[in-house]
Amino acid sequence: MTDTTIISPNNLPEIEYFHSINRAFPGNSEIMDFKAQGKKVFGWLCTYVPEELIVAAGALPVRITGYGRETDLDDGNAYLYINNCSFSRSCFQRGLRGDYSFLDGVVGGSTCDGARRLFDVWRRYINTPFYQVLTVPRKTTDDAQALYLSQVISFKQNLEEFLGFEITEQNLLNAVELCNETRGLLKKLYELRKRLETPITGAQTLEILTASFRMPKASFNAKLKHLLVALENSPVTYKGRARLMLVGSVMDNPEFLQSIEETGGLVVTDELCTSTRYWSDPVIINNGEPVINAIAHRYLSNFPCARMYPSEERFDRIMALCRDFKVDGVISQIIRYCVPYAHDVPLLNDKMKAAKIPLLNLDVEYGSSGSGQIRTRVQAFLEMMEAHKK
Amino acid sequence: MTTNNKLSSIVQSCRVIRKMSQPGPYQKSDELYYQNLSTYYTRLLKARENGGFIAAHTVFFPAEILYAMDIVPMHTEMTTWLMALFLGEQAELLSAGAEVGLAAEICSPHRGLAGAFTRGYLPHPDVMLWSNLICDNTAKSGELVMKLCNCPGFFLDHPFQHNNEEVSYLVNELKSMVRFLEEKSGHKMNWDKLSEIVARTNQQLALTNEINELRKLVPSPFAAQGFLKLLLADYLFPGQPEAIAYLQQLRDELKDIVREKNLNPSLEKHRLMTLFIPPIYMTSYLDRLYLKYGAVSVVEPMFTKWTKAEFNPSQALKSVAEKSYVIPESHVMYGPLNENVIKYVVDSARDYQVQGAVFWAFLGCRHACATIKIFKDALNEAGIPMLAVDCDIVDPTVNPEEEIGEKLERFFELLDEL
Repeated sequence: MTDTTIISPNNLPEIEYFHSINRAFPGNSEIMDFKAQGKKVFGWLCTYVPEELIVAAGALPVRITGYGRETDLDDGNAYLYINNCSFSRSCFQRGLRGDYSFLDGVVGGSTCDGARRLFDVWRRYINTPFYQVLTVPRKTTDDAQALYLSQVISFKQNLEEFLGFEITEQNLLNAVELCNETRGLLKKLYELRKRLETPITGAQTLEILTASFRMPKASFNAKLKHLLVALENSPVTYKGRARLMLVGSVMDNPEFLQSIEETGGLVVTDELCTSTRYWSDPVIINNGEPVINAIAHRYLSNFPCARMYPSEERFDRIMALCRDFKVDGVISQIIRYCVPYAHDVPLLNDKMKAAKIPLLNLDVEYGSSGSGQIRTRVQAFLEMMEAHKK
Repeated sequence: MTTNNKLSSIVQSCRVIRKMSQPGPYQKSDELYYQNLSTYYTRLLKARENGGFIAAHTVFFPAEILYAMDIVPMHTEMTTWLMALFLGEQAELLSAGAEVGLAAEICSPHRGLAGAFTRGYLPHPDVMLWSNLICDNTAKSGELVMKLCNCPGFFLDHPFQHNNEEVSYLVNELKSMVRFLEEKSGHKMNWDKLSEIVARTNQQLALTNEINELRKLVPSPFAAQGFLKLLLADYLFPGQPEAIAYLQQLRDELKDIVREKNLNPSLEKHRLMTLFIPPIYMTSYLDRLYLKYGAVSVVEPMFTKWTKAEFNPSQALKSVAEKSYVIPESHVMYGPLNENVIKYVVDSARDYQVQGAVFWAFLGCRHACATIKIFKDALNEAGIPMLAVDCDIVDPTVNPEEEIGEKLERFFELLDEL
């Protein structure tokens, strides 16, 4: 049974479970159960913070996110001003209002202005016991790798001191294996989306992805393995009017994708830091290499954020995804004041034009449901693509 | 397409202003200021016919290296500001930037710059140089300029924190940039010249600190918004004779004013701290308003107040790297905003006996505005009220002049009551 309108989701129990984890976040049962065992939970602010170190320390890494829905950001506006991205303001407001009071630490990076200032105000106004900000170079040269490695080593040392626990090479290796397993499973999930008729929608995929950084990896992996078997044999598939790719700013609300998919477009891949950029590259340990070196190398050289130089690598990877997933059109959604991505728009426009791939640029706010004007613009984009095909 | 028309207009404006200069306590330094501006833009204007090699660069970029290599610098943000100040063609420039595809929330000087290049208002540089000091806008502006001007470029990755390892990283970045420039320009780095520039940088900092010490006096001998001219020295002429000449002249004028007791205490009713930069296009309006209310900016910890530092000319490249950490904007606005930085700002307010602070909330500058709450709370705790004024540095359509003026007037009246 192929659903071309994508309004009847494949309601598998694992997807329902991930949905419940996201709905209850930050205080979901997986996190609270972990905490109840007397273990520590650390919040991280950006994908350039290596989760493996937190896992290796016996703690739970949780990505700090905002409300993921449209809401007033009075506190966020007051503390971060109105011109910082709504993601930063939303995250901070949740923190200020106590939603993350269970955190034992917050780890950020010098990744973008929004992220670094979110870290600054968090440290000043929210009482979390452990803080660390990593210098994250914007290049991937040998010197940059060495500098970032030193930051990761410093993070490890500070964690050890804070927790009174020595993180051994074996601890790191186990953590890498666990996180790589998550990445491998998510890769398999994406492989299913390469099919011309996919067993899962873009909205459902984002639901799964979002849960992946809101619960212990081992538990997530077990659930995802079951789900992959179910999806392999699923009688329900989706086709859609057009195969779409989503690029741009951080995004963690499946409702936005659902809104796009309700217009008939099927989101088959993405370049988001909550999705592909989160799982894309595994940690590869070369012979005799200290595990921490391999971790640092992976995080700095991963599928790049728009913050990195040169932008060409990001564009090349986007183009490769377009080919691999047979993408008909790309939707770029950029949160207002997300400057790194906004600066890339003219360059990305040119790349897409040269490749003859239609591109729709949307200005959004973090947590937007994608209703109203956005929906109308997506509808028009799909119609334009269809008219072009004829 | 390069017509250079707008650079000619800047040069002509400077010449006219110099000719019209009125006698006053800062007449000579003002003349030098406009002469320096004229020199900078004439050099840029004539670069092509003189066989010069032009390097466009973002703000807080180590232009010392360009001077040492005999490369003609083009300060991108400053040039857009001056176009706004002298030519008033912001709407045209910003509209051209929008046509390129730059969103309205991107810092207006960068939008305007892209617009200026597409309209041919500026000569296309031979290379584009940019860095992440100080924000995402500076970090991301270079690649588009490279494309618009069809030129190569070098991104200088400035590390976030100040420690030996990160300084070494920066030194290696600078070495790579020198190699890049040597290859592209055919000019060799003159290391002796760079050492001389570093030596003059020490002199430049010492003069700036002397001027700042004089500004601590009550009343201050400096003009209400004189600091805007102070910025130029390091922005356009770091470690250059032009900067030294200007700062020496200004220092001497301020000393004369103090020595001759040529001060009118009644003209200084409100000693202010200025945080961030006021709208450049409102300079004359604000001069009048400040005069009316006796408001004087006496300290600007983000822009003119340098920390004490001495650089080693025999380690020139390392000194250039170290200097980038003590630039006031870098010291206060880059790196983690920790207790030391907050204390530095509050101590500055106390040392200069300020009664109030004005934070120019330039909406295109996210990383600056995100500090407003922190600084406001810290200054309030010290009994110093702070006003945040929404604005744009070059775009008058963001907030009308009258609205900004009214806010300031209410603030000055509040200070009267305190």
